[in-house]
Amino acid sequence: MNAIFAIVTGILFGLGVYLLLRRDLVKTAMGYYVLFTAINLFFLAVGVFDGEAAPYVGEQGQPSDPLVQALLLTAIVISFGTYALLLGMINVASRRFGTIDSDDVDHLRR
Amino acid sequence: MDFVLAASVPFGVALFLSVIGNRLPRGWRTLLTAGASAGLFGWLLGYLSVVTQQGAVEKSFEWVSALGLRLTLYLDGLALLFGLLITGVGVVVALYTGNYFDSDEEANRFTLLLFAFMGAMLWLVLSGNLITLFIAWELTSITSYLLIGFKGGKDAEARTGAMQALVITGGGGLALLVGLALLGAAAGTFEMSGVLGNTALRDHPHYSALAILIFAGCFTKSAQFPFQFWLPGAMAAPSPASAYLHSATMVKAGIYLLARLYPALGSTELWTSALLGVGLTTMLLGAVIALGKRDLKGLLAYSTVSQLGALVALLGLPDSAGLKAAFVGILAHGLYKAALFLTAGAVDHATGTRIIDHLGGLAKTLPGWTGVAVVSALSMAGIPPLFGFVGKEVLLDAVIGSYKVASLPLLIVGVSAALTVTAALILIFDVFFGAPRESHAHGHPPKAALLVGPALLAVGTLALGLFLEPLIVPLITPAVPKAFELHLFHGITPPLIVSIIAVAGGVAIFVVRRMWLAIRLPALPSGAGVFEQAVAGAGWIGDRLLSTQSGKLRVYLTVILGAVALLMLPAVLTYNGQRSLDFALRNTGDVLKLILLIVSVGATVAAIRAQRRFVAALFLGVMGYSMGIVFLLEPAPDVALVQFLVETLSTILIIVMISRISLTLRDRATRIESRQKPLSRLGDIAIAGTMGLMVGLFALGAVINRPVRESNVSDWYIANAKPQVGITDVVGSVVTDFRGMDTLLEITVFGFAALSVLTLLTLPQSRELLTGKGRARRHTDRPYVHVPEEDTYGIASFSTPLTRMAATVVLPFAVIIALVHLLYGGDAPGDGFTAGVVAGLGVALWYVVFGYYEAKRRLHRLRPGALIGVGIGLALINAALPLAFGQPFLAHTGLDIDLPAGLHVSSTLLFETGIFLAVFGGSSVVIEAIAHPKEVETL
Repeated sequence: MNAIFAIVTGILFGLGVYLLLRRDLVKTAMGYYVLFTAINLFFLAVGVFDGEAAPYVGEQGQPSDPLVQALLLTAIVISFGTYALLLGMINVASRRFGTIDSDDVDHLRR
Repeated sequence: MDFVLAASVPFGVALFLSVIGNRLPRGWRTLLTAGASAGLFGWLLGYLSVVTQQGAVEKSFEWVSALGLRLTLYLDGLALLFGLLITGVGVVVALYTGNYFDSDEEANRFTLLLFAFMGAMLWLVLSGNLITLFIAWELTSITSYLLIGFKGGKDAEARTGAMQALVITGGGGLALLVGLALLGAAAGTFEMSGVLGNTALRDHPHYSALAILIFAGCFTKSAQFPFQFWLPGAMAAPSPASAYLHSATMVKAGIYLLARLYPALGSTELWTSALLGVGLTTMLLGAVIALGKRDLKGLLAYSTVSQLGALVALLGLPDSAGLKAAFVGILAHGLYKAALFLTAGAVDHATGTRIIDHLGGLAKTLPGWTGVAVVSALSMAGIPPLFGFVGKEVLLDAVIGSYKVASLPLLIVGVSAALTVTAALILIFDVFFGAPRESHAHGHPPKAALLVGPALLAVGTLALGLFLEPLIVPLITPAVPKAFELHLFHGITPPLIVSIIAVAGGVAIFVVRRMWLAIRLPALPSGAGVFEQAVAGAGWIGDRLLSTQSGKLRVYLTVILGAVALLMLPAVLTYNGQRSLDFALRNTGDVLKLILLIVSVGATVAAIRAQRRFVAALFLGVMGYSMGIVFLLEPAPDVALVQFLVETLSTILIIVMISRISLTLRDRATRIESRQKPLSRLGDIAIAGTMGLMVGLFALGAVINRPVRESNVSDWYIANAKPQVGITDVVGSVVTDFRGMDTLLEITVFGFAALSVLTLLTLPQSRELLTGKGRARRHTDRPYVHVPEEDTYGIASFSTPLTRMAATVVLPFAVIIALVHLLYGGDAPGDGFTAGVVAGLGVALWYVVFGYYEAKRRLHRLRPGALIGVGIGLALINAALPLAFGQPFLAHTGLDIDLPAGLHVSSTLLFETGIFLAVFGGSSVVIEAIAHPKEVETL
């Protein structure tokens, strides 16, 4: 199963990058979101063992890897914070520059 | 500690003024400031006998012990001399400033800056540690910058002058930092007493490097050639600042440091040639240029430059021969030049001009000021019995003592002295005597109280000259290594003869000054011009660099991603085959996972292909939810729960955000999108494909290279969750305890991201950001649309009696569910984060149903911003608690108390509560931000 996870990680990452490269800033933000998800899946793939039971003390059977899950929890929360900030910035940019086309937001060049 | 406190009194005064100074009556402020510096003067004077007997007083406190940084104050004769100068002139300047400004607000702002400077300067001279000395040094540069630019709001010249001074002294400061670091490394200590006690420094291999770097710092600070131009530029500062910083104290900081390090570094060939060469050049240059200046303050500034050059040259003389003369010179110059600057300020006030050609005959209207000016200018010219005369005598004596009478140094000093006499005579006769000019109508007579301070200085100039033996000798004795004598009149000696010749020459030049002024000096490249060109040059280089930038986000992304792909290459190409690739689907769970993964990939493709953004957003939601179910099947119930909640919140967020972008913009972007050329699309696909391939290979590599069932951490976590943390949820124990630092940072980042969203979208301050007012722009900027209150009902169509009822009921339940998660989270799925998002979703429903204003009104007790702070604070307290018991940050407390109803309190409960509050606050803030009324268009 872990090989499948790894392959899907690659596919989702590629799709995310494609979205990232759109000129539409909203699509770019979505691209980030897909990348986050792909990376979360990657964590799951490299988990040290395939578990049968949730990682609780006293559960029967092989527990799934708790370290990976703890990292995932943190990653998901941070991703959400970043995503919210990104969307906020896009919203501001759309008013400030009157466009959501990233090629038009080139004020660095004056 | 009394020492530290006393030295910090000026900072205290500045702080006090910055808080309530504006409400203080003017007289009180003058009394407070003059009293504070007089008190400090007295306090320092009290140490005179101690310093004379002991040599130096050193007080040292542990500061940052890990860095070997100590807070050391070192009071010896030199520090005391400067301290008395700083506080003594400080009294005068404080008295003057109190009556100088017309506007009370300006007076207060100026005084507090002045005292911030005084504090920095006092720390500089009292510092017994090279690091603290440097910090104080830089602080004086910064306060000087602020004081020069004091009128910068209206006056472009003030801004230029301030910037010049900051760049020059700040640049010198950088060199000094490196020099002091080298010095500290060479001496093996940063403590002043250790450095001064080290006699081997002159032979250290780094001696030349550190000496030159320290020279760079001192020469820039003390306006030595070729950096002298910043000082005349600094004359844009109000006159009290010029008097205090730019003649009496700050510009002497370089002199101070040279004198301070003389015992350890001085008297070498490098030292002597550098200081004599630069000092004498500066002295002559300053004296020559001063004569041609028609601006009163410009003339004084260049004469200061000349005097500073003389002081540097004196410190360059070998075997401490010039120290006595340098210290007498510092005091004499401080007294007469400060008085002259203050007089210039009064003249400016009275006549509205500082141009000498427009001045004349002021003796009739300003008799008191004329007295001050005459005494001070004669002291500057070196006429007996004034203090300046003594200064010049000892200067000449020192030069003659070290060199022969017929020597270049003496010639330069003599010529400069003659020119200084001329400058003094110009000050006296062309300003205060002669025929009055017409332009005196502007301005108003200065207040009588203004005269008090300068008069004190003039009396000092006279008294110190007459009573050298009781007043000056004891003051300088502790600072000079050798025994010495000081007399007003030595008999007919070579210095006196040179002095008489110089005065005669000066008078002669004064008589023919019209001819002198007619001579046009060849136009040398001026320092200020070079400075401007350098600044312009930096701008030019910046422009060239800028022109290599495309400014397009996609280009940067491509470059960055390409670099990442290259970096991944080595990792991708190494497989060690610890674990075989596992494609097997063992049970229905695995089959289900495969199906869900296919669904999520399909949903992502659909999101890419979707024309309408909100459809794409929904497809992304599908992807996120399938991923959540994958987590659930893993089994990772905690992660799955969080994933579902975050997915819900994210989907709401993006849909509302899309609706807040105007329809026209969205349509335009869609058209651009659909018109993308196939070739360019193919390029994007190629990049995306490469990245996908690389990441996929990387992930496969990571899977293969991972040893099978070999993880010390995971097994350890499972074994230790209950005994050490006291909860059965292993993931929870990792998050709240074993890797608690991660979580602490995580909630902080989350909280700040949420607050940033709020700031971006709601606060009025962000209007400027939105409209880009006052900045260069090319595109037509959309004005910020202010939506009147009565028109905003959030997503109004949801507001029916039924939904209102539902929302009212749901919120308490959401909070209860959250609390259950919080209390039982240790032993079941769910934790503080889940609880926070659940409660946040309850709040979200209110905003959706009631609209922004009503929800805000009904929930006015909910302060999400404060919740974030309290939450992070709680988590921090919990993390810091072990410190109180001598254990490290975030150590286990091992609390595990069972309560009825399956509840139990463990050491993580407080931490979880912190997480809950921070996340609840954060998600509520985000919701409030996106619900904030702005034009919302249909999807």
